[in-house]
Amino acid sequence: MLLLAVRETTTLDRLKHVVNSLCAPEYFVSLTVVLFAVALLWYRRWTKPAIAGTILLLFSIAYFGSAADPNFVKIITKPDNVPITMMIFLVGFFTWLALRLGAVNDERREKGEPLLEAGSDDKVLVWPDLVYTELICLVLCTVVLVVWAIVLKAPLEPRANPSAIPNPSKAPWYFLGLQELLVYFDPWIAGVLLPGLIIFGLMALPYIDKNPRGNGYYTFKERPFVITVYLFGFLIMWCVLIVVGTFLRGPNWNFFGPFEYWDPHRPVALLNINVSDVFWITLPSRYPKLCPWSPGLPTQAALGGIVPAYIVREAPGIALIGAYFLALPVLLAKTAFQKLYAQMGLARYVVFWLLLSWMFLVPIKMVLRWLFNLKYFLAITEWFFNI
Amino acid sequence: MATVQLVTKVWIAPGCIVCDACETTAPSVFEVKHDDGTCIIRPAALDAEFTKPLSNDIVQAAEECPVDVIKFETIDVPAEQAPAAVTASAAAPTETQAEPHAPSPSAEAASAAAPAKASPHKPATKPKEAAKSMDPAVAALIAAATVRGGAAGILRAAGDVPPAVKGIQKLSPDKLPPDARYAKVLEKSKPPKPEEKTRRDWMVRVGWIAMGVGVGGPSLLGFQRFMMPNVLEEPDPKVRCGPLAKFTGMQPGDVNEDFKNTGRFWIVREEDRLSAVSIVCTHLGCIPSWLPNDRKFKCPCHGSGFKQNGVNFEGPAPRPLERFKIGIEGGEVVVDRSKKFLAMGPNDTAVWNDPEASIPV
Repeated sequence: MLLLAVRETTTLDRLKHVVNSLCAPEYFVSLTVVLFAVALLWYRRWTKPAIAGTILLLFSIAYFGSAADPNFVKIITKPDNVPITMMIFLVGFFTWLALRLGAVNDERREKGEPLLEAGSDDKVLVWPDLVYTELICLVLCTVVLVVWAIVLKAPLEPRANPSAIPNPSKAPWYFLGLQELLVYFDPWIAGVLLPGLIIFGLMALPYIDKNPRGNGYYTFKERPFVITVYLFGFLIMWCVLIVVGTFLRGPNWNFFGPFEYWDPHRPVALLNINVSDVFWITLPSRYPKLCPWSPGLPTQAALGGIVPAYIVREAPGIALIGAYFLALPVLLAKTAFQKLYAQMGLARYVVFWLLLSWMFLVPIKMVLRWLFNLKYFLAITEWFFNI
Repeated sequence: MATVQLVTKVWIAPGCIVCDACETTAPSVFEVKHDDGTCIIRPAALDAEFTKPLSNDIVQAAEECPVDVIKFETIDVPAEQAPAAVTASAAAPTETQAEPHAPSPSAEAASAAAPAKASPHKPATKPKEAAKSMDPAVAALIAAATVRGGAAGILRAAGDVPPAVKGIQKLSPDKLPPDARYAKVLEKSKPPKPEEKTRRDWMVRVGWIAMGVGVGGPSLLGFQRFMMPNVLEEPDPKVRCGPLAKFTGMQPGDVNEDFKNTGRFWIVREEDRLSAVSIVCTHLGCIPSWLPNDRKFKCPCHGSGFKQNGVNFEGPAPRPLERFKIGIEGGEVVVDRSKKFLAMGPNDTAVWNDPEASIPV
């Protein structure tokens, strides 16, 4: 009996250990992206109610079963984090619903049958149908909020005290994705530019994408590219980052596995490097034949003082960022996005690239940070201009 | 020999206010175009033979015009040659008194007699009597603008056309002293007759007072704050940290946290000097914790890490922690937070070599 118990715990511990190591950010986000790709590639198979139900069941067992772990239960029972459990299930449900209806419609279209939405005239009487529905929703929401407010104590904390700072200090749950961005980008990018681009981009979407297919009915097959890009932005760059911020960020803003004890004294060595460090120091010292310059950051202005030293120092970063924002779109317009460019025209393509490039710069930089501790592509700290 | 003036040409000078008066009087001649903001002469009325029988109407319309933009040319013809409509009214001028321009002797006599009858000292309660006590030109303009029927009506009532008014009437409308439109406004804005105080008046007054208090009170408070000297009540930037001996026991690599709460800085011992390092993270202003085992400052908000000397080496902080001026005054270590030493990057810390930035040990 004792032996069994010991064996059980060790198996469970091993499993937890595996989960913890899979939750290192580089694996966690990579796995999520793979899952995302699989979910979209095989959207017709897994959205079948039986399979989706099984997935939901297994996930629920794993999620709520994890509550037996003292570290995990501490996270999910924190009043701040209750909405995140809801978010995980609700986002999952609605993603499934949209893809399921899209799958059904796509199949019907292939067989030449009428779509699900055919025959519905989209009209509801305001009185009494809509008003009653709204009234009931209002009452239910109020009841839920009142009960919630009574049962779960508002997480108010004592007066601010510089010597007793909550560690980790977390933003409200819905901002944890943005707080995660602040780890990788300077405040003016992560706090101003990127949220601004999200809002601006959502407003600009109807003008960028004027394709009428998919209006008023569910489909995936007709709009795979736009749906994939949108879902990547929403699911990966918003919801998954919230989950990362909630479950994986612990004391000192270090990464912890979901079943790991949040040890504020765990030593984590992260030595930041910039692209300029790699180019001017690492490369010439490691490959002296390929890179014949002497290791060391340039401190002298070039071309008789016209180009300041920091521009010389950041030249590789400027080249990289310039290539990403300016050369890559031209290249893509001539190759992979040829058709897209012809459809869009210059102005819309430029806006499209602006939004897309910033969206993908985020995961690119995150992965580079996790793998190589890359801090800045372009670090002109003299001007507070760091990307 | 009795003559009659016949209108041979009528036109409209600029300045029309689109008031409908002329079209009411002579609809076959004038057409008010509200959309165009002006009044035109109907095409048929451009013919002299058309306007001659309508002379009376045209002249009356010209006098009624509140801004006097209707202009006309006349010829004198013997009364018996004039069209019937014109002679009929010319024969009985005292009935209408509508022709100040007509040189009919009886009309002139009648109008000359009128001012003598009216008393100039009579209190002005009605416009036509007020017209007599004030400047005749202005009075006539006000009356002309406000009485339905225009100048003709008031002149009919007053029985006189002062020479000044005649001069004004001949002026082009943009040279009129006070615009007749303005006179109209004046009339409209005259205080109403004193009425019995109603509950409505009381409500309005209370409303105004409430608004005055509501708007004026806060404004006054704001103004009062504005008049105060614009200073921030800050604690003394200088923090006295005690005798130097208190810190000489620190080993290189030690951090003194005594002043984290009160002074918002750490006293840091480097190899050869003591410095005062600000506790505010250079990323977004959180407060890092000193982790003695890791020998680093670590921020709980976004994970920025700083070495013991404040140089950033991990996480998002772009610059090292700031340093305050530190010195010895009378054997006591004094940190002056009004002066900061900002290193712009991990490799750019030369500013810390300033003699005020540290105390050599």
